[in-house]
Amino acid sequence: MDMALDQMSDISDDALLVLFANGDRGAAHSLTSRLTPRVLAHAYRMTGNRAEAEDVAQEAMLRLWKIAPDWRQGEAKVTTWLYRVVANLCTDRLRRARLAPLEAAPEPEDERPSVVEAMQQQARADALQAALGELPDRQRQAVVLRHIEGLANPEIAEIMQLSVEAVESLTARGKRTLATALKHRQDELGYTE
Amino acid sequence: MTQGNDDMSALDSHFAAARNTAPTPSSDLLARVLSDAEAVQAGQVQTRMASTPRGTPLAQLFRALGGWPAMGGLTTAAVAGLWIGISPPAALQEMTDGYLGPDTTVYLIDTSADVALGLIEEAS
Repeated sequence: MDMALDQMSDISDDALLVLFANGDRGAAHSLTSRLTPRVLAHAYRMTGNRAEAEDVAQEAMLRLWKIAPDWRQGEAKVTTWLYRVVANLCTDRLRRARLAPLEAAPEPEDERPSVVEAMQQQARADALQAALGELPDRQRQAVVLRHIEGLANPEIAEIMQLSVEAVESLTARGKRTLATALKHRQDELGYTE
Repeated sequence: MTQGNDDMSALDSHFAAARNTAPTPSSDLLARVLSDAEAVQAGQVQTRMASTPRGTPLAQLFRALGGWPAMGGLTTAAVAGLWIGISPPAALQEMTDGYLGPDTTVYLIDTSADVALGLIEEAS
């Protein structure tokens, strides 16, 4: 199915959510195409599993649709709320079934053309994903939000309901662990940066 | 320290790779999300319509006129008009006597609060 282009690109997420609650179908299209990629990407970074990430993304978006009539504009960013929901859903799933260990890291998602750079990028991303899977949940969440999603520490603090200092501490510890794990991985696989 | 910096620099290249290879939603996932959206939206609209009172045409007219507050004003005006019609004040009788003579009987019929229509019927 071809999604409609985001025709309401100038409208904020929470205004679109109000339109959605008023029955505007265009708002449903816009929010779907605007937010699903971010939700899916975050869920994938948290779970390391594409199928799980898709389920989480669909569930998180479903919760967004349901909360729309009660959404209070200006109180929180829609994406902040979504990141929190995604993290909670992922944590629940991770508790039920711990994810695959480093050795069973997911295979590359798609077979790109045999361009060396693209393959290297995918190898790095996969290695990182495997190392992320070894981090404690909260460290992984903080590192992903800061260094992959590119959010600022105050927003991460709001999402994780922590102080900014606690976020900084989590990301610092997470990065140290990741750097060590990736160094080992690099030595094992023999690739160079 | 340099080794630590190198490790962090390598880590940054991994983060960049992760950003560049972010998974994109399949058309199937987008369709499922949109389908959920439309189902939830239809339910919410239906719920809102069901919770809006409709009632009989008379009840709708009552609401359209403004409900009980407006009805209070209308009733007061109607009762006042009826009372003036049945028992005209002496000042009114004197005024009509002055214009029409003492043998004229005056009937005031107030048909609504806003439009007062006076019908004067001359006594035979």
